[in-house]
Amino acid sequence: MNHDIDIKEIRKNCFRQSKVKGEFMLQMRVPGGIVAAKHLSMVQHIAETWGNGTFHIGTRQTFSLPGIKYESIDAVNAYIKDYIREIEVDTCGVDMDVNDAGYPTIGARNIVACIGNSHCIKANIDTTALARKLESIIFPSHYHIKISIAGCPNDCAKAHFTDFGIIGVTKTEYDYDRCIGCGKCVEACAHHATRVLSMEQAKVVKDECCCVGCGECVLACPTGAWSRVPTKFYRVMIGGRTGKKSPRMGKMFLNFVTEDVIIGIMKNWEKFSAEVLEHKPVYLHGGHLIDRAGYHKFKEMILDGVTLNPEAMVAQRIFWAETEYRSNINVLPVATK
Amino acid sequence: MSYTVSFERMNELIQSLQSNYKIFAPVRFEKRGRYSDTDMVRYANISCVEEIVHDEKSDFSPKEVVFPVTQAILYFTESEFMESRVHDKKILIFLRSCDIHGIRRLDNMFLRNGNVADFYYKRLREKVKFVLMECHDGWDTCFCVSMGSNETSDYSMAVRFHDDSLEIDVKDEEFEPMFGKEAQSDFTPEFVKQNAITVKIPDIRDKDTLHEVYNLPLWQSYNSRCQSCGACNAVCITCSCFTTTDVVYSENGRMGERRRVWASCQHEDFTAMAGGHRFRTTPGERLRFRALHKVYDYRQRFKTEQMCVGCGRCDDRCPEFISFSAMINRLSEEVDKLNEVKSK
Amino acid sequence: MNGLLVHETRANHNEMIPTAHEVLGVVRETETEFTLRVKTDAEVHHGQFFQISLPKVGEVPISVSAIEDGFVEFTIRSVGKVTGELLRIRKGDRLFLRGPYGNSFPIHQFRGKDLVIIAGGTGVSPVRSTLRYFYQHRGEVPSLHFIAGFKDDNSVLFREDLELFRQRFDTIYSLDHDKVPGFEVGFVTEHVKQITFTDFSDYNVVIVGPPVMMHYVALECLKEGASEDKMWVSFERKMSCAIGKCGHCKIDETYVCLDGPVFNYSVAKSLLD
Repeated sequence: MNHDIDIKEIRKNCFRQSKVKGEFMLQMRVPGGIVAAKHLSMVQHIAETWGNGTFHIGTRQTFSLPGIKYESIDAVNAYIKDYIREIEVDTCGVDMDVNDAGYPTIGARNIVACIGNSHCIKANIDTTALARKLESIIFPSHYHIKISIAGCPNDCAKAHFTDFGIIGVTKTEYDYDRCIGCGKCVEACAHHATRVLSMEQAKVVKDECCCVGCGECVLACPTGAWSRVPTKFYRVMIGGRTGKKSPRMGKMFLNFVTEDVIIGIMKNWEKFSAEVLEHKPVYLHGGHLIDRAGYHKFKEMILDGVTLNPEAMVAQRIFWAETEYRSNINVLPVATK
Repeated sequence: MSYTVSFERMNELIQSLQSNYKIFAPVRFEKRGRYSDTDMVRYANISCVEEIVHDEKSDFSPKEVVFPVTQAILYFTESEFMESRVHDKKILIFLRSCDIHGIRRLDNMFLRNGNVADFYYKRLREKVKFVLMECHDGWDTCFCVSMGSNETSDYSMAVRFHDDSLEIDVKDEEFEPMFGKEAQSDFTPEFVKQNAITVKIPDIRDKDTLHEVYNLPLWQSYNSRCQSCGACNAVCITCSCFTTTDVVYSENGRMGERRRVWASCQHEDFTAMAGGHRFRTTPGERLRFRALHKVYDYRQRFKTEQMCVGCGRCDDRCPEFISFSAMINRLSEEVDKLNEVKSK
Repeated sequence: MNGLLVHETRANHNEMIPTAHEVLGVVRETETEFTLRVKTDAEVHHGQFFQISLPKVGEVPISVSAIEDGFVEFTIRSVGKVTGELLRIRKGDRLFLRGPYGNSFPIHQFRGKDLVIIAGGTGVSPVRSTLRYFYQHRGEVPSLHFIAGFKDDNSVLFREDLELFRQRFDTIYSLDHDKVPGFEVGFVTEHVKQITFTDFSDYNVVIVGPPVMMHYVALECLKEGASEDKMWVSFERKMSCAIGKCGHCKIDETYVCLDGPVFNYSVAKSLLD
């Protein structure tokens, strides 16, 4: 069949072009990478009715359904209406019209998260709850942003390689009298983290400066002398990305900020993007926008009206470390003389 | 006599008791548990009945009331020693039957082992009166019935909690006058009659068998599992070991303190002497040492019951899911096999 | 075990408080070992130990290496925090002590019987007071064989005493490898066969040293015909309290601080850590 398809318009609807002409892959949002297992039967139905019978666990935690013919898109969009309503509106509180037209935009990408503290013994935060809160802020927006949320500094969610990487950290408290000086936390910190603990007079002292807030000391402590303070804290990494031209690991923008700060900066994000892109949501994601604006401008705009909590730390400047493929002049073919 | 007392009224009574007593009970420390968004329940001073966590097992035992985690024993100035002091109030502890039995075990260790009573334990212990918290069914890791610690009459008062009132059985004459105006009830505490878990104490009949027990492969099976964190010791109502350490307060080192802190036989340095020699160098050997202390050694020494009271907190707290009750049952099975071979 | 030690407790006595004692003298024995002579009138028995206390540093259990009228001696190897600090003690200083603790060598049982004492390295310290006693009361035992082993010439302890003991006891002094006049070469175990237990009408054997040394010497004695219940050893363990509370020295139902440090071999052989 001869097709005349505007693939950019189709992409906006979350259907991605296939190498097979006339076929597309639907990418369904799963904010935080977790939904009720019952939705797998929906995935199965789409795959077997309109797709090629398979689905891909998307690299950004989407349900990705390849092999959907252009002609089936309307039927698929009508079918996923209930899912979109349940996930986006009912679960995440997204302010959007749900109709037979499918996803309104692909702009802000699915929010990736590790399993978080609903399951993981290492996690410091409920990544799912945060992902859902942020979904209602960033979606639906045509501006391109990638967010990953990790429950702890181990960063299994790879917050270091995304526009906005959010990492759950904890402020720990030490109960001097409950400590038996066994040194298990000292060992754990040296083994897993940044070696900020040491023994002094049969008790533990901490170099506050370099604590990454992972909570390994709490896990290791037999007496509960170490505990997390009830307030949740977050680290924000910015500007990380993959890519052919200049992939790079993100850099720390904020540390030990509260959830209010996270919510605040994410609310400023769309305005920042629009301003940098002169209100044209082109296909350029957040990290590049920080480059365009420059860090200081970014910082000013993204923190506009945001009240930082007293514990918060903010990067004064950022020195990016990109892998610039054009500059790898020392990497030569073996055969070159 | 037994009474029904509203929480409101009980709080007034608690308030008046506080002039003479420090009152300790299991208290919730929100989000202070080992894992994120989990709570910790441990013993602390209370001032109202609503603070008492009565429908959960506490993570830590009440032993820290009479055997604090860290306790100054002597203070040093440049030229003299000074004995540490304790508060001048009496102590009331809300606790369960297993823990009352547990404190009796501590009494044996601190007051009767050797020919001298431990001064520091004794001075706190003498202040203590028990308020028994009734247990209905226990919890899934409890094995108090197997250890015979499910019942007790060793209390000054016993309580059953309702939504906004409690029933209280007052046995101690000291407290009887306080309740004179309260509504009488026919409450007497009930006790757990059956646990989900049954634990059999190993029937080790002689030293030869004991030595064969030392060599069971059972212990080695824990080498890769146990992290030697010592959490089982910390939560145990009957673990009583401590280490004495001296510290100095200031840069010039003129003032200081000698203190004791809890010690754990699971820690690698528990037996380490100056010069570095240590005994029981594997997790399996250390677990064997603890297990036998709880179900054999103590009983041999005091010619009484075993040390373990079956509270199951070590199971609850182990980050590696090692079950002490399962360990003891495995051990008993092995000992039965050894006994069978011997009887042939 | 040993008639369980549940005694009536003394009311409100604080056993943890040490008392000050004058240091009457310090003798440097080797590079790392030294002997402190400390004034005391306490009744002390051979093989017992004290908790030596250095305020703001800590406490260590040290067995007495001599008991004389008006003083005791401690021979200390400087290997840890407290023992390292004890090196700085000088004559005239005050030393804080509590004790004595533990049981002792059964001197009354030794009387009238041949006595064999085998010690290795720092294990010579706990038996030195016994040796000195029988040196002064030589008539109380028909014979006394003393085998002492040290690593090398630099680690020989109590040189003066060793020379005196040569005069009244049958002595074998040995160094592990060094060839030095007055000393044989080899481990103490190798010299046990020179004792002919079968010649004794009755006897006792005291073995003190590192755990491995005691183990093998005991096996050697058994091989030479010694009987278990005539053999005595002394244990060293980590201790925090010395009064049966802290738990560090526990081995099965035995507390080394209360039931030891001296054990009859028939008991000691089954004390497995």
